[in-house]
Amino acid sequence: LTSARKVRANRANARASTGPQTTRGRARAARNALRHALSLPVGSIPALSEEVEALAREIAGPGANAATRDLARRVAEAQIDLRRVRDARHQFLSDTLSQGYYSYAKMRMKVKILRALLLPNSPDISMDALEFATSNPSLEGPDKLATILLEETKELLAMDRYERRALSRRKFAVRAFDEARARTATMGLNVTRTR
Amino acid sequence: MSTNSKGTEIAAAGVSGPARRLSLFGPRLLLEGEDGAAYDELVGRICAAVRPADVIDEIFIADIVALEWEILRWRRLKLSLIRTRALQALQDFLHRTLDYDLYSGHFAERLTEILQDNVPEDRPEDFAQTLAHACARNESDAVDQVIEILGGIDRDMDAVLDGARAHKAEELVQQYVRHEPDVVTLVNQLLANAGESIDDLMADTLRNSSLLNYVERLDRLATIAESRRNASLREIDRRRAVLGQTLRRSVQEIEDDADGVLELPAAEGGNAA
Repeated sequence: LTSARKVRANRANARASTGPQTTRGRARAARNALRHALSLPVGSIPALSEEVEALAREIAGPGANAATRDLARRVAEAQIDLRRVRDARHQFLSDTLSQGYYSYAKMRMKVKILRALLLPNSPDISMDALEFATSNPSLEGPDKLATILLEETKELLAMDRYERRALSRRKFAVRAFDEARARTATMGLNVTRTR
Repeated sequence: MSTNSKGTEIAAAGVSGPARRLSLFGPRLLLEGEDGAAYDELVGRICAAVRPADVIDEIFIADIVALEWEILRWRRLKLSLIRTRALQALQDFLHRTLDYDLYSGHFAERLTEILQDNVPEDRPEDFAQTLAHACARNESDAVDQVIEILGGIDRDMDAVLDGARAHKAEELVQQYVRHEPDVVTLVNQLLANAGESIDDLMADTLRNSSLLNYVERLDRLATIAESRRNASLREIDRRRAVLGQTLRRSVQEIEDDADGVLELPAAEGGNAA
């Protein structure tokens, strides 16, 4: 049996682990889901709903019954969701690439060297380090994209999780749709044979 | 159906049929500097190989193309990073080890440029060039004169020499990249003299921790894209197998029915043929 002391400690710890405490922090956290809007269901965005319906019609084909149309809509929803995630990731990479980008890790090292130089008894600093600290911090070429991929991992991983989920949803939706279509085809054949 | 602006642009740009069709499932996700025509060519090749049977096949093909493009992008980026770093390492090596004979011409040129701006106007026109070349040949009077002039403009001979060596090293690397035979031989000789090879430089480059971090990240991204592309390929295989099974069953049943129709009724009191 858990002791009363442990229960109190657990409750206190839980209270301390429930996200931001300040009003500003809570307000910022409340906007997290809206940053890419990727957690919003496709159906709640009117423009995307129209695309889902159009794609579902194309997948189901003419003369599909209600059950097939419903399964086709599930495929279309997952597909549009997947496209939305990929577009968001692409937009993020394109926007970041089009702006000046500074490596956080290198900036921290530069600040450290420059701070050391400003000390009253500054330590000996090699010419290479000094050159590094005073060089242009903006990245270009392949280094820029590689650094963005490395330093924006958190943001990109979050989008990757959405992509993985959308892919999984689409896979199962397609399988359900294919099974239903195969069943319909077999039933249609049986009806023809009976006649 | 998707009618976003990029998709419409593609349709209007007169791209190939398959590329236009696949743009319905999303625009081409090209980054700055990437070749749209190469992307369309990839679409065409994959469509020709897979021959989509329906909209869902097309969705999977659009996926495979996008993921394949991503795989190629990460591989290109990785090679480009390794290559840039390796060439930088080669340039640093050459900068450290070049003999004066190899960059004395650059030194003379550089010195001429500096002297031209800083010799008295009453000197002959070719004075700067003559003095610079004499200095480059290590003639003591000329060296003293140059040191004096450089001292007057707060510069020193070592910095000019270093700049000339760096310039020559950079030039040699560019020629090495273009596979100019003389330069390739020279660079290999310099490396051999120092007991190194281009492979050693490459290995040293890869040992550099920041490059390894980049390479690992790019390998990870390429692996994720590969596994997703393979999953889409498997789904196409599975759908073809299901379609194949359904078709085989249908064909078999149709043939059975036809056999029933064609079966001749047994002749009364006689043998059916």
